[in-house]
Amino acid sequence: MNYRRPERADALAAQYVLGTMSARARARFARLARADPALAAAIRAWEDRLLPLADSVPPVEPPEKIWTGILARIDRTAAGAGSQRRTAWAAVSLWRGLALTGFATAIALALVLLSPPLERPAATLVVVLAGQDAKPALVASAERNGRLLTIKAVAPLSPGADRSLQLWALPAVGNPRPLGLVPASGVVQIALPVDAGTALQNVPALAVSLEPRGGSPTGLPTGPVLYSGPVERLY
Amino acid sequence: MSVDPAQQLERSARLMELLARTALADQAAFEQLYRMTSPHLYGVALRILRESAAAEEVLQESFVNVWHHAGSYVAARSQPLTWLTSIVRNRCLDRLRKHDVDTVSIDDEDHAMTIADRNPLPLDLLLSGAEAGAVRRCVEALDAGQKQAIALAFYQGLSHSELARHLKQPLGTVKSWIRRGLERLKTCLDGAGIAR
Repeated sequence: MNYRRPERADALAAQYVLGTMSARARARFARLARADPALAAAIRAWEDRLLPLADSVPPVEPPEKIWTGILARIDRTAAGAGSQRRTAWAAVSLWRGLALTGFATAIALALVLLSPPLERPAATLVVVLAGQDAKPALVASAERNGRLLTIKAVAPLSPGADRSLQLWALPAVGNPRPLGLVPASGVVQIALPVDAGTALQNVPALAVSLEPRGGSPTGLPTGPVLYSGPVERLY
Repeated sequence: MSVDPAQQLERSARLMELLARTALADQAAFEQLYRMTSPHLYGVALRILRESAAAEEVLQESFVNVWHHAGSYVAARSQPLTWLTSIVRNRCLDRLRKHDVDTVSIDDEDHAMTIADRNPLPLDLLLSGAEAGAVRRCVEALDAGQKQAIALAFYQGLSHSELARHLKQPLGTVKSWIRRGLERLKTCLDGAGIAR
């Protein structure tokens, strides 16, 4: 089979999506598509054409054991060493861990707070980033001595499918420095090269700009600044 | 199922958000995604695999896969439900095809009966799946044989040779029904600006 001719490739993509290919042809075509963006695009176009037809299939409530089975499997893989997600989202997992132990932390904190003498609170940096309407969009915070900057989207943001939101430190002198990409919703943590107190020293403000997906290609903001806010030091 | 377009848009936006949060390992968002889509996806899997144990397994594997690859969704640029449906259908089809290599695993008559028993019939599904004006027009414009063959392949996962047996037609005829039917659908849908 010659996959190189576009009309042949398109006809094969159609058969692949419809599902009429034999096992061997399916496997082969799927393998080729993984390496060939044009084939992958042809498959996607056919999925967009045909799969909405599946909307008319009457829904059937699956047994609850499927969900518990899924949970068991993702927990196991999340805990497994060498899992890709674990490395890619280590910071997030850490945050999730903290959230899970939140209750224990709350009790510990309550005990600390209740026990006299009341000591000074942990030194923290907080930035509330707001848009032109002055409504808070993102909150960033870090321990002064910690190396993680936690960013939370207050309400879901919509940068668009092929755009990313990028966070910048705006130093008193010099160019903005990229800190990382921020979530359109939920929370992420960005690892800082040094502790937050040092990283944000002489940085009066943070800002978020709209960038191509994956972040600015130049190392400087290329899109409009959507949100910004002053760095408050609680120490 | 005809759905109000505004509602559908809202649902899509919600699913996109849930997928984005799933990519950030948000388990609560993932559960909501599962609750919102699993009945539909399970229905699709059941029709193709015709066996609840197999459909359950595929649904489970698919969602484990979604948990690990939700981040790759954006790159796929399709509607979230289309993306999820493609994951489930591909697994169903891989499984179905793997079992019919070199074997006549399905008893013909039995199989034909199972197909006939299905309610609603694939052809009715094809037509009701085509509620939106242009899609419906495109599906209705197909010849009877083309419609029938495409419906059986799409909803029941029949291969070319199974279609030929079921429709009692030569293999070549069935293949050309499918090929021409798909070509006509494409021309019609793309012309109507349905497919993105």
